[in-house]
Amino acid sequence: MQKSLHSLIKKDFQMMISGKFFLLALGSLLLYTLFINFGYVNFMRMPGYGIYLYVPPEESFPEQLREKVVVVQSEQEIYECLSKDTNGVGILYSESATKYILYYGSDTLDNHRIAYAQSMLEGKRFETPIVVGKNTDEMKQRKEMSCELLFIEIVAVGFLGIASILFKEKQMGVMRVYGIMPAPKALFIISKLIVFLVSDLVFAALLTLLNVKYPDATHILPRVLLQTGILSLIMVLVGMGCSLLINDFKQFSLAYLVVALFISAPVFFSANTSVQNNWILWHPFYHLYMGMKNAFFDFPSEGIAYFLLCFGGIFLLFVLVKAAFIQEFSKEG
Amino acid sequence: MIEVKNLVFSYGKDKEVLHSLDFKVEQGEIFGFLGPNGSGKSTTQKILTGILKEYKGKVKIFNQDMVNSQTSFFFQKIGVLFEFPYLYNNLSVLDNLNYFSSFYPEKQLRNPIELLEKLEFKTDFLKKPVSSYSKGMRQRASMARALISNPQLLFLDEPTSGLDPSGAVLFRKIIEEEKRKGTTVFLTTHNMVDADLLCDRVAFISNGNIVALDTPKNLKEKNSSHQVLIEYVYKGERKTEIVEADELKKNMMFAQDEIISIHSKEPTLEDMFIKYTGRRLD
Repeated sequence: MQKSLHSLIKKDFQMMISGKFFLLALGSLLLYTLFINFGYVNFMRMPGYGIYLYVPPEESFPEQLREKVVVVQSEQEIYECLSKDTNGVGILYSESATKYILYYGSDTLDNHRIAYAQSMLEGKRFETPIVVGKNTDEMKQRKEMSCELLFIEIVAVGFLGIASILFKEKQMGVMRVYGIMPAPKALFIISKLIVFLVSDLVFAALLTLLNVKYPDATHILPRVLLQTGILSLIMVLVGMGCSLLINDFKQFSLAYLVVALFISAPVFFSANTSVQNNWILWHPFYHLYMGMKNAFFDFPSEGIAYFLLCFGGIFLLFVLVKAAFIQEFSKEG
Repeated sequence: MIEVKNLVFSYGKDKEVLHSLDFKVEQGEIFGFLGPNGSGKSTTQKILTGILKEYKGKVKIFNQDMVNSQTSFFFQKIGVLFEFPYLYNNLSVLDNLNYFSSFYPEKQLRNPIELLEKLEFKTDFLKKPVSSYSKGMRQRASMARALISNPQLLFLDEPTSGLDPSGAVLFRKIIEEEKRKGTTVFLTTHNMVDADLLCDRVAFISNGNIVALDTPKNLKEKNSSHQVLIEYVYKGERKTEIVEADELKKNMMFAQDEIISIHSKEPTLEDMFIKYTGRRLD
């Protein structure tokens, strides 16, 4: 049996290589890493608001404070600057009644902007706060995006990967041959699970190490790998089930769309925005996503019920996939 | 080797496709199972190879009830050539054979190179992917897959399909060699020439019923008109005459200068198939 499993794993690896699966995974890893390191973190780094100051000739203004703002030569120039930088704040300085000029955002945000402009104007320094944790904004962004991309990679790309292999095997007819091979039928499923699991774990480890970075990455890695393993097994089994039950790849594309729309979209929407939907608690992938997020942010671990449900679900999916696999043997050529 | 009694199989509730089949196949026999598309051939073969399970009746193979015998040990002893060459297209024939043979005990395996040589497989293609092979080469590779484990019971579905005439002759020679070794062969085919030349006995299946079962010779003799067709030349003119075989014992009853050929008017196996089933085999 060990020899058979070894051959199956070797063959599945060859299938993944010939299907350019690893190349695709490597490409995704590279793209995600570049995006997080050179794109997302920079986009999300909030610059200070541009402050445009006009001091009429009759007014006096401390020279040393002029360095912290953009000094313009006329009131008209303030309007021109603000039309280009709508987040900025214009200051019409007057010792008696300074005016602040801005494009309206929201009351709260505008108050923040004016307070910031005032602090620049008065040369104030904020007090040093008490640091209660090291989850810097950048680290938070890195973890959040790594978690989302890993979830997408496994849910969507892994799902497509197993389907492409199984559809190839169905097309070549070799699945019929498995029906008469002297090896337990479950072995054919187990080998695919192992290959995809290893591939997903390596992907998750690299994505975490490259984007969350040492030492945080090594600290959260065991829990991230555990969550990746659970999600990977579930998605490979779901992908296998769909590929076995659905006849052609076109129909499968529709199933893929359903996965993308009904699994990823509501989960991301509920988990990453302040919009609260109570029904999302019934969505199993919401809990899987939150499990992954908790692992990335090192929040308290999920309870025993979560793991029991996950492994129970994996077992149930395995039984269903095995039944679909045996059904496939009996189909006409 | 194979014993089937009162075999009934249905796809779903009301779709009975096999109606009480009874037949036996002896060890070392080549048994032909002939029938048109949809007659129940493939379903029978799937039951015999352990793929379909929910049947009624009794099926014994290797003297064991199929219900209990679908173990790895059973699958180690059978070899199956499917109707289509089911191989990994991205792998070479050698990689395919090495892969599929890894499921069998090493001591029962044949040498893949020798086997491919026997099947006259072009050596230049040994390491090229199956996707680059012709239809005939794929069929040879498939046959090698079926034979690599030295099976005691061989199921062959249209073995000469996709082969040129010399390839078909080679395959028939190989099947006969297997028989001489003591291998039992269950042959499913549309090809009446293969069935006639290879099979010790044939069963005609139509609409899920076995309508005739005997040796090809007996089936033809039973239905023979006992006539011969004689071609001859008389006064420079070519003529034909059909006479009763018994009349040959007497002197020729018609004038002729030269007899060119005498053909028996014995029916072909295909004629027999049409007679018993009322259908052609295509």
